[in-house]
Amino acid sequence: MGILQKFKQMFSTVPMLGWFLGILAAVLIEYFWGYDYISYYLGLPKIPVLFGALIMLKEPVMIPGALAYDLIVYVIPVLAVAKLSSFITNPGAALLEKLPLWLSAVIHLVCFYAILHLWAGINDYRVLVVKLTLVSIILTVSVNVINGYQGEFSCSHPGFMALGAYVSSILTLVLFTNDKIFGTALLPPALGPYLFPLVLVAGGAAAAIGSLAVAIPSFRTRGDYLAIISLAFMFIVKSAVENLNIIGGARGMGGQPDLAPLPVIFFWTMLCIWVIHNFVTSILGKALNTVRDDEAAAESMTVKTRKTKMTAFMFGAFWAGVAGGLFAHVLTYINPGMFSINRLAEILAMVYFGGLNSIVGSIVGAVSINVLGEALRPLELFKWIIIPLILIFVMIFRPYGLISFTEINAKKLLEAKHKRQQGVSP
Amino acid sequence: MRKIAVLTMLAFCTAMMFSSLAFSARKTIIKIGINAPLTGDIPKVGEGSKYAAQMWLEDIEKAGGLEVGGKKYEVELVIEDNESKAESAVKANTKMITQDDVLAIVGPQSSKQAVPAGEVANKYKTVMISPWSTNPSTTLDRPYVFRGCFLDPFQGPVVANFITEEFGFTKAAVLYDVASDYPKGLAEVFKQAWEDKHGPGSVVAYESFTTKDTDFSSQLTKIVKSGAEVLFTPQYYNEVPLIVSQAKNLGWTGPIVGSDSWGSAETVELCGEDCYGLFFSSHYAAAGAKGATKAFIDRYEKTYGYIPDDVAALTWDALRLAQQAIQDAGKLTGKIEKDREAVRDALAQIKDFDGITGKMTFTEEGDPIKCAVIVRINHQGEYEFYGSSCP
Repeated sequence: MGILQKFKQMFSTVPMLGWFLGILAAVLIEYFWGYDYISYYLGLPKIPVLFGALIMLKEPVMIPGALAYDLIVYVIPVLAVAKLSSFITNPGAALLEKLPLWLSAVIHLVCFYAILHLWAGINDYRVLVVKLTLVSIILTVSVNVINGYQGEFSCSHPGFMALGAYVSSILTLVLFTNDKIFGTALLPPALGPYLFPLVLVAGGAAAAIGSLAVAIPSFRTRGDYLAIISLAFMFIVKSAVENLNIIGGARGMGGQPDLAPLPVIFFWTMLCIWVIHNFVTSILGKALNTVRDDEAAAESMTVKTRKTKMTAFMFGAFWAGVAGGLFAHVLTYINPGMFSINRLAEILAMVYFGGLNSIVGSIVGAVSINVLGEALRPLELFKWIIIPLILIFVMIFRPYGLISFTEINAKKLLEAKHKRQQGVSP
Repeated sequence: MRKIAVLTMLAFCTAMMFSSLAFSARKTIIKIGINAPLTGDIPKVGEGSKYAAQMWLEDIEKAGGLEVGGKKYEVELVIEDNESKAESAVKANTKMITQDDVLAIVGPQSSKQAVPAGEVANKYKTVMISPWSTNPSTTLDRPYVFRGCFLDPFQGPVVANFITEEFGFTKAAVLYDVASDYPKGLAEVFKQAWEDKHGPGSVVAYESFTTKDTDFSSQLTKIVKSGAEVLFTPQYYNEVPLIVSQAKNLGWTGPIVGSDSWGSAETVELCGEDCYGLFFSSHYAAAGAKGATKAFIDRYEKTYGYIPDDVAALTWDALRLAQQAIQDAGKLTGKIEKDREAVRDALAQIKDFDGITGKMTFTEEGDPIKCAVIVRINHQGEYEFYGSSCP
């Protein structure tokens, strides 16, 4: 404990900007020397793609090499640069603090994206994993609005995702591609990237309208009824798509143009986090929490419970639709089987693992389940024993998830750290 | 503390900079990727692919490596699990291509994974051979994607012709899973072929159900009442036994005919005597096989304890095709992009490849022209060769 405390103390002066600089240094080291020198001398066949997890599990002989690689490329540079640069990054952070918070946040996000882009760009497999993880973040955060902040148990998220995926795919196929199903493109394909946001919004809107089919009949009741109705909705959407031959039926729909590169997905993810954060901290969000805790009391305090619940539900569904649209354009292929009970289990696992009522928790949940799922890939069948076991332990020791009921405090996160240190030891 | 940190960093940096002669010394290893459903809905299919691949690797290792252009190269298999999910198959392909630097990929088996995974392989210009995927769009407009089996539009007419010639029936019934891509496609093709032969309305019952249904009595009652003489059901090994036994209980006496999805060893194991005497179209027949096919079957059975199904045989052929293409490519430059292209060109030019599932020559699209086999389940529960039909 002593060492950990000391360690924490030592790095308490590093602001977020300093950590970014440290990670940037690590990524640059990997970029320039990772393949030719470091991994070569450590006897690794290539740059370990997910911090060496894959190679360690496949060939235990490589464990020392992979660990040494992580140490040399990531741990040491990040810590050293972050600590040593704090004399520039702290004034830098102080300078940014004078700017409006949103501008400072945007600058930080741009820096973060640049680093992420560089790191992922080393290998296309990383790009794909990062893309799907970001899509999962949107899904998890949006389901948290319903299952966390609203306190319902909704099972229809894969259905909303399917609506978004199919509507946006149909739009891009009709508008920007020459394909077998819908014939020639109506608009020049060059317009695709510019109109893609509208396509995604249309997908989200379709999901939101679809969510009314669940919301209207079920919100007179509470608890289990919604779970059952929403589950039914998911199966209805799946069966409907399977029986619609015009959009491919069970055979699926492919050939979507590749309109979702990493920056686009990153932008949408950040937008989603920002909008949902504002939503749940707004008056409507507070009203939602009161409805969750005691509906009758909320009603008597002039909260329009029905309207609040409907709005939140449609809002959650909208983002699930957007996530579905992005998902379809990352894989460039969808079939109804993708949006079934397996997907539901995955989404619920991410949200309950990460933590209810917390955006940070959702992000943690989505990232950890996705990264675990990839990192444990070499274990094949045992992966499906380990991940559920972890989930069970989380549920036993932290029933509300890893990080629940906490919010992002952007100001505190981004501030310069030297002032606080002066406060502690004058 | 600061000094120590700076010194270690400096030491590392200088050490790295002064030793640059290194990286060309990395050995060229031929890596073949296997993208198989080891977990998920159809693990038996994944197991068959994995075992066939391991047998193939054994052969190569016995020979001391793969000889290309007079030089022996070490061969390594990269086996990835696609969990029987489309996005996982895409991830597995991307990983194998960009991280493991595979020269060619064998798999995925089912069309719902092979279609999106083929997109990835084609994008990165890496040869992919799907041994079992029968959906036309797997290889359509994708020069780098090939397959090891015939397509549904070929198989449907083969079955229709066989029934007509063998039994002389004119009225058929079809029972299929509407939610699954393969049965649905094949049912449509069969219906089309049958009606072309016997006139519209000759498919007297065209009934469907949904994946994971286990009670087919209402559909089967309709089929029995419709006056159909033969029932065609292109289902997988988990449904066929249920359909067959329920049909018999409801008074169905005619023959039941299936397609290559029956070919798993599990079909007969689960179905028992009910299935004896039934026919299905397939890629090869295990009982009464000769030559290389028999050698493969015997070896597989000896090592793994059961008779290989068609997936294993097709995977074996796909691997042999990949091997042939790599050897035909002449020589390996060590530059993976160039080698992949050479392998693709060599593969497209292979003529009359003598596989254990028949002779193969690829069309422009990367689909093989090969014969279908009609298999009869005999009274020992073995899959026996009954006849074959060639394009």
